[in-house]
Amino acid sequence: MSGAGKRQRLALRIAAVPMGLLALSCLYPIFFAINNAFKTRDDYMRDRFGLATQPTFDNFVQAWSRAHLNEYFLNSVIATLGAVILLMVVSSMAGFALASLRFPYRRFLFAVILSSLMIPVQVVLVPFMRTMLALNLVNTHIGLILSYTAFFLPFSVYMMTAFYSGLPRELIEAARIDGAKLLQVWWHVMLPLGMPALVTLAILNTLSCWNDILISLLVMQKHRTLMVGISALKGQYSDQIPLFTSGIVIAAAPIVVLYILFQRRIVSGIAVGAVKG
Amino acid sequence: MARVELKQVSKSFGSTDVIRDVSLSIEEGEFAVFVGPSGCGKSTLLRMIAGLEETSEGEIFIGGDDVTDEEPADRGVSMVFQSYALYPHMTVADNMSFGLRMAHRPKAEIKDKVERAAKILQLEEYLQRKPAQLSGGQRQRVAIGRAIVRDPKVFLFDEPLSNLDAELRVQMRVELAKLHRVLGNTMIYVTHDQTEALTMADRIVVLRSGRIEQIGTPGSLYQDPDNAFVAGFIGSPRMNFLTATALAGGRLAVGGREMDSPAQATLEPGRKLQLGLRPEHLDQNEGIDLEATVEFVEAMGSTSYVHATLATGETIIAERRSSQPRTGDKIILHFAPASARLFGDDGERFR
Ligand SMILES: Nc1ncnc2c1ncn2[C@@H]1O[C@H](COP(=O)(O)OP(=O)(O)O)[C@@H](O)[C@H]1O
Ligand SMILES: [Mg+2]
Repeated sequence: MSGAGKRQRLALRIAAVPMGLLALSCLYPIFFAINNAFKTRDDYMRDRFGLATQPTFDNFVQAWSRAHLNEYFLNSVIATLGAVILLMVVSSMAGFALASLRFPYRRFLFAVILSSLMIPVQVVLVPFMRTMLALNLVNTHIGLILSYTAFFLPFSVYMMTAFYSGLPRELIEAARIDGAKLLQVWWHVMLPLGMPALVTLAILNTLSCWNDILISLLVMQKHRTLMVGISALKGQYSDQIPLFTSGIVIAAAPIVVLYILFQRRIVSGIAVGAVKG
Repeated sequence: MARVELKQVSKSFGSTDVIRDVSLSIEEGEFAVFVGPSGCGKSTLLRMIAGLEETSEGEIFIGGDDVTDEEPADRGVSMVFQSYALYPHMTVADNMSFGLRMAHRPKAEIKDKVERAAKILQLEEYLQRKPAQLSGGQRQRVAIGRAIVRDPKVFLFDEPLSNLDAELRVQMRVELAKLHRVLGNTMIYVTHDQTEALTMADRIVVLRSGRIEQIGTPGSLYQDPDNAFVAGFIGSPRMNFLTATALAGGRLAVGGREMDSPAQATLEPGRKLQLGLRPEHLDQNEGIDLEATVEFVEAMGSTSYVHATLATGETIIAERRSSQPRTGDKIILHFAPASARLFGDDGERFR
């Protein structure tokens, strides 16, 4: 007994070494970015890896206003928020229909959605751009919101369909007998019951939209989103690493806050998806 | 309150016929029970009445109106599901009031009706709880409450008690029967449990493979079954079936004995038959005697059921109210010929 316990403890200790290294390799760049974001230019020149000796908010102020991150930030917020809300509404409705309603070609439709999951974005870029141009949606927030929705929808629909398939049919039937119309069933029953999966999706989609560069580079050529703006910073201010890292910190902050707020729901939500899906 | 009438309804899923040409009418205020083995189509028939399944053929009338193509909500029915199907994210009060809210009834009326139903079902203390915080029996009552508040013409129950433990089931059986007396609505109740059917029904509809085998009061189904299936399905322990052979002059040979046929029908000598004997009718002191060897005794307290083998090798179950034999004993089972029921080998009843 005690021998087995000892051996187990030893195994844990040995496993802790690579895990620790892994954690370090994730954490160090974050530390590097935050640390340098507070350095003055001279401070950085003198010692890239040391701690900031005269911490300053100058970089943040400059990045925010002079490098137009404020503008980009707003663009990102609008596009992300719009797309995430639209994605939740549409995927919840589509998941409800695909999982619970009987209509012709339902399976075929689901297969089409599934197969679109397997097509990489790059493959459809040309027809996508043509469509956006034809619809006059380039350089508009609506255009970016619709693009994000289109690209991230298949996975969201797939996940909501899987989630709703696990709910008992009788709930919908009870609501129908209670006199709820289809949209009311969705609003009063499916939407609240889908919340665990929807919250997970909202977070995953927020990450995808917020971190996207490719799509927004194409659609928002005039008004940059934050990630595009930051990438541009790298080119424009390549000699100003502190300014650049402060931009990175600004871009990452909302995601970190989101994660801290929803930590528990992210974990349980992903678990829900795993079990039901 | 309303009469429910089915006219030659059929239902098929793809190429499988689940309900075949069912016609029946359930009177206003009647408590009707659909009973039959699992998979015979009871739920499907109930769901057709509710409007949750489309009717492939035939017509359904509720309160004189043809509702065959109506939406579930427009049929004036409430349904209680086996799984209860309570909305998990709503409180008990919200669950019960959902239908009224969908119908945009005034707030005062909703409150009043929910409170009245909660009182009848003793749920007043639980109105603000979520279903997950309730016991199985309480959830069951909420589901019934949700059905009551809408004041439907017809209540539909699909095996509402089968998720409860035995004790609670008996208790709820009594409560449902009381509820029916208080409310007086037409009720259609589906179960695979013949005891529930016998104890609760005004009238029982026995189904097998999507067809009606017999409709009648519990007493008439028990006393006067139309066929061997109904005779075997209704009653517990089930009826014994012994092979019998018709003899000349209205006599029968059964279990090595001869007896007068309990049926008037003339049967050609040599015809193979089944004689149905209920366990409780084998506890007489005189009549036809069958010698049997006790295999096993099921003691039930006030009575016991003896599983025995006849000289012919057939097994038989007999009730013993006074004496309690032991395994291996030789006993004589007496029955009155009039208590026996005679069936053809295809199950058809001879009267
Ligand atoms: N949606 C469906 N699709 C195909 N077959 C079904 C469907 N619903 C029920 N059935 C079949 O119909 C038969 C009767 O089912 P059901 O009415 O649920 O039986 P019961 O309630 O008497 O146990 C079963 O054989 C079942 O497999
Ligand atoms: Mg059933």
